Amino acid sequence: MKNTSILVSAFLILTSYSSFCAPKAGKAAAPSPIKMELKNFEALDFPYDKGETGLLKWDHTEELNDASFSVMISTISEKEGWIEADTFKAGEKTADKVNLPFWAFKKDKNKYAVPVELNNVLSSEIKQDVPFFAKVKIIKGKNSFESQTASAAARGNWFRADRLNNLLLFLFVSIVFFIIVSHAKKKSLFIRRIAGLDAIDEAIGRATEMGKPIFYVPGIGVMSQISTIASTFVLGEVAKKVAQYDSYIKVPHYDPIVMTVSKEIVKQAYTEAERPDSYKEDINVFISHDQFSYAANVDGMISREKPAACFYIGYFMAESLLLAEVGASIGAIQIAGTDVDHQLPFFFTACDYPLLGEELYAAGAYLSKEPMLVSALKVQDFGKLVFMISVALFSLLLIIGSKMNWQGLSSTLTEILKVY
Amino acid sequence: MKLFKKNIPLAIVLVFGLVSLASYYVPNRMSEDYLEVMNAWENIVSAFGFFLGLISLFYAHYMKIRKKADGWGYSLFVYIGFLMMVIPAIISHGKQLNPDASLTWLGWAFRYLYNPLSATMFSILAFYIISTAYRSFRIKSLQAFVLFVAAFVLILGRIPVGQMIWDWALGFTKVTAGEAIDWIIGVPSTAGKRGIMIGVAIGAVVTSLKIIFGIERQYMGKD
Amino acid sequence: MKETIQKLLKIDRRYLFLLLTLSILIPILKPLGLPNKSISKDVQNVYNFIDSLPEGSTIICSLDYDPSTAPELHPQATAIVKHAFKKNIKIMVLTFIPGSTGLIDQLFEKLPAEYGKKYGEDYVILPYMANIVAVITQMNSNLYSIYEKDKDNTDLKSLPMMKKITNYKDIKGVVNITGTAILDFWVAYVGDKFGVPVMGGVTAISQVGYGPYLQKGQLKGLIGGMKGAAEYETLIKEPGKGTSGIDALNVAHLLVLALIIMSNLVMFFFK
Repeated sequence: MKNTSILVSAFLILTSYSSFCAPKAGKAAAPSPIKMELKNFEALDFPYDKGETGLLKWDHTEELNDASFSVMISTISEKEGWIEADTFKAGEKTADKVNLPFWAFKKDKNKYAVPVELNNVLSSEIKQDVPFFAKVKIIKGKNSFESQTASAAARGNWFRADRLNNLLLFLFVSIVFFIIVSHAKKKSLFIRRIAGLDAIDEAIGRATEMGKPIFYVPGIGVMSQISTIASTFVLGEVAKKVAQYDSYIKVPHYDPIVMTVSKEIVKQAYTEAERPDSYKEDINVFISHDQFSYAANVDGMISREKPAACFYIGYFMAESLLLAEVGASIGAIQIAGTDVDHQLPFFFTACDYPLLGEELYAAGAYLSKEPMLVSALKVQDFGKLVFMISVALFSLLLIIGSKMNWQGLSSTLTEILKVY
Repeated sequence: MKLFKKNIPLAIVLVFGLVSLASYYVPNRMSEDYLEVMNAWENIVSAFGFFLGLISLFYAHYMKIRKKADGWGYSLFVYIGFLMMVIPAIISHGKQLNPDASLTWLGWAFRYLYNPLSATMFSILAFYIISTAYRSFRIKSLQAFVLFVAAFVLILGRIPVGQMIWDWALGFTKVTAGEAIDWIIGVPSTAGKRGIMIGVAIGAVVTSLKIIFGIERQYMGKD
Repeated sequence: MKETIQKLLKIDRRYLFLLLTLSILIPILKPLGLPNKSISKDVQNVYNFIDSLPEGSTIICSLDYDPSTAPELHPQATAIVKHAFKKNIKIMVLTFIPGSTGLIDQLFEKLPAEYGKKYGEDYVILPYMANIVAVITQMNSNLYSIYEKDKDNTDLKSLPMMKKITNYKDIKGVVNITGTAILDFWVAYVGDKFGVPVMGGVTAISQVGYGPYLQKGQLKGLIGGMKGAAEYETLIKEPGKGTSGIDALNVAHLLVLALIIMSNLVMFFFK
């Protein structure tokens, strides 16, 4: 606090000196014959940010009607004097217009609240905790007045209170998740039939009978995508069955990291099936990190080797139909699953068993039948239930709010549901 | 062994999963720096991954050629294709245009080799769409009929001639093809898409929790 | 008779491929001059947005398509750039797909000279960047912390048009032309979060998927496929590759419809 006041006085001395020496700095102050005070003018740190934004506040008074404002900013290290950061008219930029929810920021129509992004305004990049100085030029008709100077430091904050709604929802989901998962072992849960996953046995069985290979295509996702991770779960189960049947599987890859992970999974699956000797290094092959080169190569492999079953499980874009149609043309049983909704229609038309969106995430649990994983599916269903109830409830409340003209209710609900 | 293959990786997933999650709620510059470091690491690891991929690719095709396996001739193209892009790239120092705006070797290879090859693959899609549509767009149920009507309106309404046909045949309804399409895309299609998106989003949250807390760990190989 | 017709259901797909080839090739070689009257609402919105921008304002064009989708998307990008140049709007070109750098070079090879535009003053091309989310988020605070140099290694800040640009505050809109999911990132991370108007240009196949974004106004407008490009060309009165493809598009679409109807009729009456 003491430091700040020393800095403020030093700054004021410097600026008064510079108004004599530098015409540029003096220009801002020139048309202000009368000193006009802004009521409760203060500079603050803008809350919940990384520390590069300041906030200026002052009260709206009647004499400010029809005025317009020009916000001026400076720092002690700034050589350019005062810099105009923002201009606006009276009535704009009041505290109720700040993009923060009601629980994190006091909304007040009669107070101005102007966020100033210091890095955008000042030419030199400011570091955190550096004080800045601000004043406001009030222009009313032909006259202009300057407010007093205020100062503050923009600080990096530690919690985004505006995301509290998100955090609470997350905590709620997590608690439900742990409760359900921890009760998992006690009783078995019913899961509805997923035809695509039931067909895996049939597909592998057929390939074994025909003496033809099985293709498992994990798509063009990388390891950080959930669909790719889910695909590796399914790969593990498929590879285990392939090993048990002593059939042959081929997994062409788009991403080298996914390939490395898949190698480990397939090797493990062969070991679990007690056939480590059948495992070959060339089951997983890297093809290309270019979408269509990958598709072209896999298409080529499918048409030459004529697999009896093809799995397309993971993240797919335009190559979905390129792959599935070639598979269909050679008469392979095809099972496909992706969470990319606009590729689902292609898999639907060209494959025998499509997995719809989230069924892909459920696949690992469905196939392994591990109680903990199965119970996590229940969380998914619970989530959907909560979602459906909230959609219905909030829609109803919003309709009532707008019909009855309760603006407070509408804006409160909108803020609760908003992403910040 | 279990320590290195299971416990340490799971601990890494837990710690970094939670810290990354927390960074969403912590605006401080530290959390931003953390995310930047993580991104850099991801890039570095994937760069090494590419070497691994390249070795796997070359080795697999080398073995095919050596064993004269079925279709080994195609494997030669892997090497030819690789050299055809990599050599010009080295000669032109990765630049596609000369200072006088003429094409470098790489620019030529990109424009006249890579461009047509890539475009060919994507355009095959049109052929596959037509054969898939012919083969599988059969009205076998009421749902399939609804789907057929929607597809019919969409395909017809997307092209100028279709719009003329629409106006001629259905002009009396005062509904234009554009309006019908907007309704199909805006109401039933969007409703379905939102449903799937919501399901996927919830599934993603639960799967993330399962991964962070080590409940689902098949991707590391089982215990 | 019945059997012959039934065989149609199992026709070798190569005959269908041949039909499609002819239905695309003939109109391209010998244009039929079919009209392109209607303009979709979403394309009109993109046009209106760019048309209403004041002279001298800057837009970002994120051109993220590679040669595979270029036949559909390149005409869109060309039309947007022509429109911006006509209206004296400055363009900042970005890309997150390595394959599109060559196409961007191709795009700006001749166009600027036609409209009397200069590099650095009226448009600037930034180099390829990986990790889109990190880049577009960071650009909200300071663009130069990511892009110090342009694609030719010139100091970005030294270019005249960049003098007044620091971050999204100085950008009037984003047009992302892509055959990938990159548009979703622009919508979620830049449109929704920082309030910059985002518009898109996508392939006809993925066009339908953007319905929810358009409905909510998260996307201000959308150009879809070659038809969208042709519509935009009509709006700016500069017929180009999009317009010339319209004949082929008409015939091919009608062929798909005819085939679907035929296969259903055969199934219905002869099975």
